Amino acid sequence: MSHSTHAVAHDQESIHHEATPNARSFVTFAVLAGMAALALFIGFSDLGAMKVVASLAVATVQACVLAYFFMDLRAADKLTWLAAVSGIFWVFLMFLFILTDFITRHLGVL
Amino acid sequence: MAANTVEGPVAHHFNNMGQQLATVRFGMWLFLVTEVLFFGGAFCAYTAYRVWYPRDFEAGSAALNVGIASVNTFLLLTSSLTITLAIRSAYVGNRNGLMRNLLFTIALATAFLGLKAREYQIDYEEGLMPGSYTTMKPEAAKRDAELRDALQPLVPMLDAAVSEQEAIAFVPGKYPRVVRDPLAFYKFERLEHLFQKVSGRLNHAPDGFNENVVLALEEVHYKGERTDRIAPSEVAAEVDAIRALKVIPSKAELEAEAKKKHDKGEFNPSRVQLFFMFYYSMTGLHVLHMIVGLGLLTWQLIFARMGFFDHKSRYVYIEVMSLYWHFVDMAWMFLLPLLYLCGPHTSGQAVEQFQMAIGLTHSGH
Repeated sequence: MSHSTHAVAHDQESIHHEATPNARSFVTFAVLAGMAALALFIGFSDLGAMKVVASLAVATVQACVLAYFFMDLRAADKLTWLAAVSGIFWVFLMFLFILTDFITRHLGVL
Repeated sequence: MAANTVEGPVAHHFNNMGQQLATVRFGMWLFLVTEVLFFGGAFCAYTAYRVWYPRDFEAGSAALNVGIASVNTFLLLTSSLTITLAIRSAYVGNRNGLMRNLLFTIALATAFLGLKAREYQIDYEEGLMPGSYTTMKPEAAKRDAELRDALQPLVPMLDAAVSEQEAIAFVPGKYPRVVRDPLAFYKFERLEHLFQKVSGRLNHAPDGFNENVVLALEEVHYKGERTDRIAPSEVAAEVDAIRALKVIPSKAELEAEAKKKHDKGEFNPSRVQLFFMFYYSMTGLHVLHMIVGLGLLTWQLIFARMGFFDHKSRYVYIEVMSLYWHFVDMAWMFLLPLLYLCGPHTSGQAVEQFQMAIGLTHSGH
């Protein structure tokens, strides 16, 4: 039956799932703390219009590291990946359609 | 079938432990997707307004306490580490380690919230509140009389402009609207904008704006309040400029003018208030999530003490709680650059602000 096949697939994916060893957690933390310091360094410097771009780039990498290691996407099953990617995709759609309208209004006027 | 290295009670509606654990995780991930969209809406609105009013947002951000925000960043990040260590403790069946790590996490979260409360208090004392203007610029009240004089010529102009509505044409460089006399309409728009600037009203509604302009005028003209947004001389100069208009400026001219203002670093205090609206709602939402998280951590600490997590398979409940906690940390990773670091700051200023906040030094006044 497809039902039991599905359950077995779940088992296969879960067998290798274990709580993150402490050593890896410390390394992840060190990387994230380094990037937080970098984010502050960028925030305290005068990069003009590039500041927001650089800051958001660092924040995005930070979020990815956090999700991959601390939130264990590294060892996650396909369903979890699907949830994570869907969330990002729906937010992307929301930004796309809302900002298409808003940032093309009042272009440079007043 | 040895489905998993972890053993424990399997609920009757699951086939085995592997399926049960996967389902518990998936439930939390689904919840987090709704959270991403929840915060996403706020970030999206922030983006739209920041694109419209970049200088005003930078001015608002420059007034915030970056010292506390910097320290809080590391407190929250460390709590993300301790919650991960807590999962491991539960996984290997170390009850004391689990309780210790949960306690560390609770302590770090409490420190974050305590500093955040102190920060809100400082913001309040400095008058960084939506709707509060006098504390931002105390000298403002003196200029009331001058401003009223500067606004006098606007009254007949407004009457004339209102009668020019309801016609048919498109104004170049603006969003389409039906008007009879494009020049009169353009002048009216400039007037409307001036009123917005003076009164602090944000009005982009295409319909019913006549009424809003009249209300704004009345508010400024008769009450003489909220006049620190724009210098009276600026109002007078703009009124003269509007009167002198013979043709509608081209889009290129308007954009050049807007750029000149932008480059001079001009900002409108009423839109700085808009920034503070975002600051309070977004950090408030984040604080709310942290309070919920703190409640969950405390609850798990009590359960850990009672031995609930001695069943090793139950480490997964610590794990899904940690997913929520990491998400709260992730939201902060974006709040920090967008709210606090958006304006000009220095590291020296951050250190000074933090010392002042915790009472190590006193501020100048």
